[in-house]
Amino acid sequence: MDYDVLIIGAGIAGMEAALSLGNMGFKVLLVEKEASIGGKMILLSKVFPTLDCASCISTPKMADVAHHPNVTLQVYSEVEGVDPLADGSFRAKVVKKPTYVNADLCTGCGLCETACTVAVADEFNAGLVARRAAHIPFPQAIPKKAVIDRRGFSPCHHSCPAGVRAHGYISLVRSGRYEEAFNLHMEDAPLVGSLARACYAPCEEECTRGSVDGTIPIRGIKRFMSDYYYERHPEPEYGVPEKKNGRKVAVIGAGPAGLTAAYQLARKGYTVKIFEEAPEAGGMLRIGIPSYRLPKDVVDRDIANVTALGVEIETRHEISSIEPLKEQGYDAVFLAAGAVEARTMGVEGEDLEGVMDCMEFLREVNIGRAPDLEGKTVMVVGGGNSAIDPARVAIRLGAEKVLIQYRRSRAEMPAHSWEIEGAEEEGVELQLLRVPVRFIGKDGKLEAAECISMKLGEPDESGRRSPVPQKGSEEIVPVDLVVLAIGLKPSTSPFAHELETNKNGTLKVNSHTLETSDPRVFAGGDVVTGPSMIAQAIGQGNRAAHHIDMYLRGEDLSLSRFDLPIPTVEKKDVLMRAKSISFRKPTDKKELEPSERCRSFSEIEQPFTKEEIRYGAGRCLDCAVCSECEACIRACPVEDCIRFDMLPERREVTVGSVIVATGYDLFNVEKKPQYGSGRLKNVITGMQMDRLLAPTRPFNTVLRPSDGKEPDNIAYVLCTGSRDQTADNTLCSRVCCMYSIKQAQLIMGALPLADITIYYIDIRAFGKGYDEFYEQAKAMGVYFVKGKVAKVEEAEDGNMTVFYEDMANSGGLKTATHDLVVLSVGLLPNREALGLFPDQMLKADDFHYVAEVEEDIDPGRTSIAGVFVAGTASGARDIPDSILHAGAAAAQAAAYIENLGVRS
Amino acid sequence: MSDAGERYLGEVLRDEMIMKDSILAVLEEGPKTVPEIALALNASEYDTMLWVMGMRRYEMVIEVGGAKGDGYCQYRAIKAH
Ligand SMILES: Cc1cc2nc3c(=O)[nH]c(=O)nc-3n(C[C@H](O)[C@H](O)[C@H](O)COP(=O)(O)OP(=O)(O)OC[C@H]3O[C@@H](n4cnc5c(N)ncnc54)[C@H](O)[C@@H]3O)c2cc1C
Ligand code: SF4
Ligand code: SF4
Repeated sequence: MDYDVLIIGAGIAGMEAALSLGNMGFKVLLVEKEASIGGKMILLSKVFPTLDCASCISTPKMADVAHHPNVTLQVYSEVEGVDPLADGSFRAKVVKKPTYVNADLCTGCGLCETACTVAVADEFNAGLVARRAAHIPFPQAIPKKAVIDRRGFSPCHHSCPAGVRAHGYISLVRSGRYEEAFNLHMEDAPLVGSLARACYAPCEEECTRGSVDGTIPIRGIKRFMSDYYYERHPEPEYGVPEKKNGRKVAVIGAGPAGLTAAYQLARKGYTVKIFEEAPEAGGMLRIGIPSYRLPKDVVDRDIANVTALGVEIETRHEISSIEPLKEQGYDAVFLAAGAVEARTMGVEGEDLEGVMDCMEFLREVNIGRAPDLEGKTVMVVGGGNSAIDPARVAIRLGAEKVLIQYRRSRAEMPAHSWEIEGAEEEGVELQLLRVPVRFIGKDGKLEAAECISMKLGEPDESGRRSPVPQKGSEEIVPVDLVVLAIGLKPSTSPFAHELETNKNGTLKVNSHTLETSDPRVFAGGDVVTGPSMIAQAIGQGNRAAHHIDMYLRGEDLSLSRFDLPIPTVEKKDVLMRAKSISFRKPTDKKELEPSERCRSFSEIEQPFTKEEIRYGAGRCLDCAVCSECEACIRACPVEDCIRFDMLPERREVTVGSVIVATGYDLFNVEKKPQYGSGRLKNVITGMQMDRLLAPTRPFNTVLRPSDGKEPDNIAYVLCTGSRDQTADNTLCSRVCCMYSIKQAQLIMGALPLADITIYYIDIRAFGKGYDEFYEQAKAMGVYFVKGKVAKVEEAEDGNMTVFYEDMANSGGLKTATHDLVVLSVGLLPNREALGLFPDQMLKADDFHYVAEVEEDIDPGRTSIAGVFVAGTASGARDIPDSILHAGAAAAQAAAYIENLGVRS
Repeated sequence: MSDAGERYLGEVLRDEMIMKDSILAVLEEGPKTVPEIALALNASEYDTMLWVMGMRRYEMVIEVGGAKGDGYCQYRAIKAH
């Protein structure tokens, strides 16, 4: 047996039971789902009727529990299930949720919360004020350790093939911390400016806000922060890492995949050299993507991020075999040669002068050898983005007519719709269901193309309908230049004799580690995936660097933690948590007018202003709560204290007995909309008022939430959600009368001039000294009105009008004006505990509290032998009664364990 | 989704991150009450109250004494953030 008793819930009842049992010598496991013990009591101002400070009397107990040699405390943990065993003991599954903070290292200094960029409602302050994603629950928390509220990956991060933490830089930009945002991106990928312009932004497609009123302008935000940074830092701020590890890695190809891997490896201390066959580095960024989408000075500045680390790039150096690299002493090779070999159509005349493939055409233009197309007719063949780019380039080179022929319909075009629309706006003509079947030339030079119309037939393996040529529709079209953009092949042919390839020509790799058939060679980017996108290539570069490093450190690659099993938050959960989202107009893209842009290679997309970008970032819903911006890590003075690779820890324990001390829920005031809570800013709950009166209060004093004024006429509405069939709770909550009277007395101390009215049906002051406490409040001037409140409304001057039925005096319907209304909300059963045991073994009473089978004579005993209930889990109780009840449950559990005869 | 006029707690709280710089800028002129800050920002008093209290919690602003005769407290910036 691991422990004698498992206690679920560390509020005052759970703590009391733990201490009693611990003092008797039993070993206790105390599991609390929040990050601190103390339950609701620690959040209260004072306790009735003694007016002792709640935290002053709770904290010593909390400390005793934390330090008791017989009590093992496990916070931020949940019991997933408890199974009774044949011998009368129990097996429980306990999961510790990741806090992302090493509790042994955290000093509780709170610097992480001050730095954090995500603000959410603080549940420990009943939603009156914000806390941060990184937070210490409250000042007297035990343990006083930070936790990070991180629900998984946000959809924007998860959908980024490069693994860039979009939510992180968005939240930094929202806070005006642009350089930090840029630097965070640099942790994930060095080609910030290029991604900001040419990435297809799959993150924006997945953005949760996209399903509400339009995506966050994620790429625009990245553009802003990279422009901001590069303007202020024409050169990288860092140099070659001081610590080199003496190992050498060769990279083949200076495209996004190769550059990224080189960058990450160089940061780890490797000496990296990139071999590139083209005259300049950048791969597709340099030779493929036209400068109106990606200016080449941006590519240069991005590449400087890599070379500043000492990465050497040798251009005009084609590598056609891996072996010589090994002989030159490279410890590992990363092959990232891309997919730049053009596919051919296999039709007559393809070799004529004037027929080019798209890569050849774009490369010539990008290296300053653009053909003269003034007044010419250009035909581009293909339907992907690689067809759109040459067509738009041809327009800019002065072509009189540019047409794209595509053999299927518009719906099947793989190009992005905005790219197609952009091309059309610039004058490109789309000829759909049409394709050239022959190129006609004279003296080896192209003069015309014979084209044929197509019709869509049955779907092929890709699910798209196959084009069927229409006999008789042939037509000869005069053209000066044809650009074939019908697909690219991976550039693997030189290596096919050394490394295993797939049927489609891509390299065969382990998709997790990117190892090839040669253990010293890793491969990634288009050479592995086939033609894809920049972000994908960057992601592969990161993946390769991680595993090359593991390999060279002699680690077992099968133990890689590159893909941690962290879930992505569900959009529906985000939307549910947000309750409702008010419309905020998405930031419109800013582009040059078509007439202006087709005359030059000037960048089409225009940058957003600072105001636009902060507004745009401000629309982010903080899907995963923590944005992974790492501001906390930077602020934390203890190295390695905050770690985002923590995973839930599950364990099974056997215990002799179980005490359920899961406490109560508060009545949800939204179920009584006539009282206006949530809608009317100056209607608050009793719990909120207790927080306002507590020493660790969220405001500097008792203030109205609507405008920060000290209230001077406060009303209490008793029995909100108690003794009320319509609220589905017919029970008296036993504490609301007394806590309202307590608060009234405390307010009279804090705001001596305030008037306080308590609307009640009858006052239940049943305990020792309670009635005296009530009389004392009356004597202090608290005004008690026997009346049932029907509704609360806001008057024009912002005050609250209370409509009530006067049940004493003259009777009848009356109204009164107050400037703050407190709803004395009742206690409800917390039904969670009922689901912890199999087959509904743990029985509930008629009111859904955990049933005590012999309530009158056997307190704490439940329907399961060996399982006991303590405190408000079995009914509404005040603190003294809960403590008493916990003592009874502890005694019951002790007797049960003694009878079992087995001890931990 | 709801109208632009109606805003929910989480949305307002989140905006503290955008608004804090403007609030600190307003407070450069000297201590102000929540309605005065709201007026300067052209924002609602309720939203401003939430932002100012969040900033108070994280030590960007602090109250200057207790409430004045009109029932409002003034707040000042603690340091430039
Ligand atoms: C016209 C066009 C437009 C595109 N536009 C976009 C876009 O806007 N957004 C987007 O996300 N993606 C776009 N892509 C796709 C994107 O460019 C690629 O997915 C990405 O560049 C792949 O990166 P990579 O590093 O794997 O390969 P590459 O960028 O192709 O880099 C590989 C490098 O290796 C070099 N190399 C090859 N063989 C050897 C060898 N044997 N020895 C030495 N060096 C060698 C090549 O010269 C090249 O420089 C576009 C592609 C095309 C064709
Ligand atoms: S990573 Fe950023 S958002 Fe997340 S807890 Fe740390 S500071 Fe807050
Ligand atoms: S709403 Fe924000 S966190 Fe969520 S997916 Fe969009 S950008 Fe990412």
